[in-house]
Amino acid sequence: MPLADALAFLPNLATRDAEPAADIAALARLAEWCHRYSPWTAPDGGNGIKIEITGCAHLWGGEAQLSSDLAERLTRQGIGHRVAIAGTLGAAWALARFAADSHQPALPAADDERTALAPLPVEALRLDPATSAGLHRVGLRQIGDLYLMPRDALARRFGEAVAGRLDQALGVLPEPLSPLGEAPVRRVRLSFAEPISDPADFSRAIERLADDLVTRLAREGMGARRLDLAFHRLDGRVEHIRLGTAQPSRDPRHLAKLLAMRLDMVEVGGAGSSDDPGGAVEDVILTLFATDPLPPEQPGFTNDPHAAVDSLAPLLDRIAARLGPGAVVHIGTRESHIPEHASFYAAVGDRPAAAAPPVEKPPRPVRLFTPPEPIEAIWELPDEPPVHFTWRRLAHRVSHADGPERIAEEWWRDGGTLAADAIRDYYRVEDAAGRRFWLFRSGLPGDPPPRWFVHGLFA
Amino acid sequence: MFLSSMSPATSLSALRERIRQIERPAGHRVLPFGIKAVDQVLPGGGLALGAVHEIIGYGGDEEDGAAAAGFAAGILARIKKGEEPGQGPVLWCLKQPDLYGPGLLAHGLDPARLVLVVAQRDDELLWTIEEGLRSGPAAGLAAVVGEIGRLPMVASRRLQLAAERSGIITLLLRRWRSGAEAAAERNRPSAALTRWRVTASSSKDPGWGVGVGARKIRNIGQPRWRVELLRCRGGVPAAWIVEVADATGHVFVSAELADRPVAPAPTIREHNEPQHRRTG
Repeated sequence: MPLADALAFLPNLATRDAEPAADIAALARLAEWCHRYSPWTAPDGGNGIKIEITGCAHLWGGEAQLSSDLAERLTRQGIGHRVAIAGTLGAAWALARFAADSHQPALPAADDERTALAPLPVEALRLDPATSAGLHRVGLRQIGDLYLMPRDALARRFGEAVAGRLDQALGVLPEPLSPLGEAPVRRVRLSFAEPISDPADFSRAIERLADDLVTRLAREGMGARRLDLAFHRLDGRVEHIRLGTAQPSRDPRHLAKLLAMRLDMVEVGGAGSSDDPGGAVEDVILTLFATDPLPPEQPGFTNDPHAAVDSLAPLLDRIAARLGPGAVVHIGTRESHIPEHASFYAAVGDRPAAAAPPVEKPPRPVRLFTPPEPIEAIWELPDEPPVHFTWRRLAHRVSHADGPERIAEEWWRDGGTLAADAIRDYYRVEDAAGRRFWLFRSGLPGDPPPRWFVHGLFA
Repeated sequence: MFLSSMSPATSLSALRERIRQIERPAGHRVLPFGIKAVDQVLPGGGLALGAVHEIIGYGGDEEDGAAAAGFAAGILARIKKGEEPGQGPVLWCLKQPDLYGPGLLAHGLDPARLVLVVAQRDDELLWTIEEGLRSGPAAGLAAVVGEIGRLPMVASRRLQLAAERSGIITLLLRRWRSGAEAAAERNRPSAALTRWRVTASSSKDPGWGVGVGARKIRNIGQPRWRVELLRCRGGVPAAWIVEVADATGHVFVSAELADRPVAPAPTIREHNEPQHRRTG
């Protein structure tokens, strides 16, 4: 019915614009909030959330207690809901939408699911509308009616979908849940009967979680590389602190310090908590996403040449935690004729490959511009350096020069073009004031004329 | 008071001793340049470790800091850890990652020793430098280098104190992105122990090149720097022409200029004239 017709019947009709994108985003946030029950959650279509609670229910004292806790918290947030727990995704989907209501979750016993599904309409099998209409036409209205039908007849008439969905609901066909985001390696949580909002409490919670995580890591001989600390706020929002470490770490004080350093970057607890009690936190979950082997330490017996760099790791982690993981880099070198490939920046966590043996080359600058900066140059003979050049709007008269050193692209590697302007003739020039520049001419003399660049500066 | 109870001569020498102690903070070791002309000007006979030293460029190089980077590389190459010079990691904090490894190696600094921290703002860089100095001894840092634009007095004093406590040499390469920033910062006082200016200077003429007559372009000879000690607590300003740091990090005073400090050129001198001079 068009809106205009509806308004003609009911002039007082309250209307809202549909905001599908915002709805999807809100659902994703809610799915994330559901991480408090299990690490494996995902939004389901536009109106549901799937939670894989295998192995989690006992933490809440059983499935019934888990579902009532979930229902209570959703009610408090003002979210209408229907909850169902079943052995398969298909059965839970059907029960939540067609058997449960907001006061009564659907929790059939494990051997009772077949019976529980039987009275539900066939739409509960996640079929497309045409297929369910077809089933209705031949009098198959309830899932129980399908139990009695021969499988090949169903498949002939309605395709594989009906039998497949039925098998999924009954657990004959497996149906894995793809979780929201990455699957964690380890996960520790701390829940508070009384929500906390004091920064000192957060720090203590972080220390306890780090201790807890580290005990497990020590047993396995692993060290943490990537962590996520989630604060579940009272109002359902989840705030994250994510960090990576330069070296695998199993030092609880170090990890706790890194996490606590970033506490001021998340909105938890917070100012005027009496006005905004939503900022208080009821769950803190520390999730570990990546580990690397870290053998048990033997203090005093390290003979590792990298030991000096390793003791830097706590400092570098603190810097990366404040400035971002890309802020700490080191200079790697490799054997290449192309100047910008011979020295490159790489993240500190990755060990540099063995340094290439230094090859005798003409002098190289201390500062290299990426990309090279174009200049206007005046030169006289094809193989000579420029007499004058203008760089950053300042004119320089060349008084001394060395060169050319011809550097061509590495045609034996992929991506070689053999174009004329891939050939560079480098000159080291000194201007009248004594500054020394690394210039190159790109391309060969002729048409189009070659272009000149400043690539670097000598000390 | 207690000074009046002493004889004038005693109190004077006591005062002198106190001033000497103030001038040589925390009694840290020094790193000599190995050139008599330079070392005799510096209190203690060398560049004090456990202190902040500022290095600025000249002209267009105030923005790029190329000569300053080469000069710093030469100093870092000579820092001794144990018996071997040129050991131990160096924390180098900068805004534009434009350092080039092979070029640093030519001045004696092995790029593998460098840990670079790239940040966008001066306050982030200052925080990183201070953090580096604070945990530097535990981390085994040999030195900390920062490429700083704006350096307020309070910040330089904090760094100087942190450097004294840690015993780690701190080099601040000043790089200014605009003429306005350079003008505001160039003469700002700081708590650094010394301030150096390194200017690329015409190389020694090897006497041969290309072209003829007026458009003759000669080859580049041994490159040189004009190194000026603009400010030094407990020392006097001076200037020298030196050959740039070689692969061992050493600079050499050109043979014909050895042991003869170069008088500061008047134009450069003017450049550095403190703004508040006229009040005196």
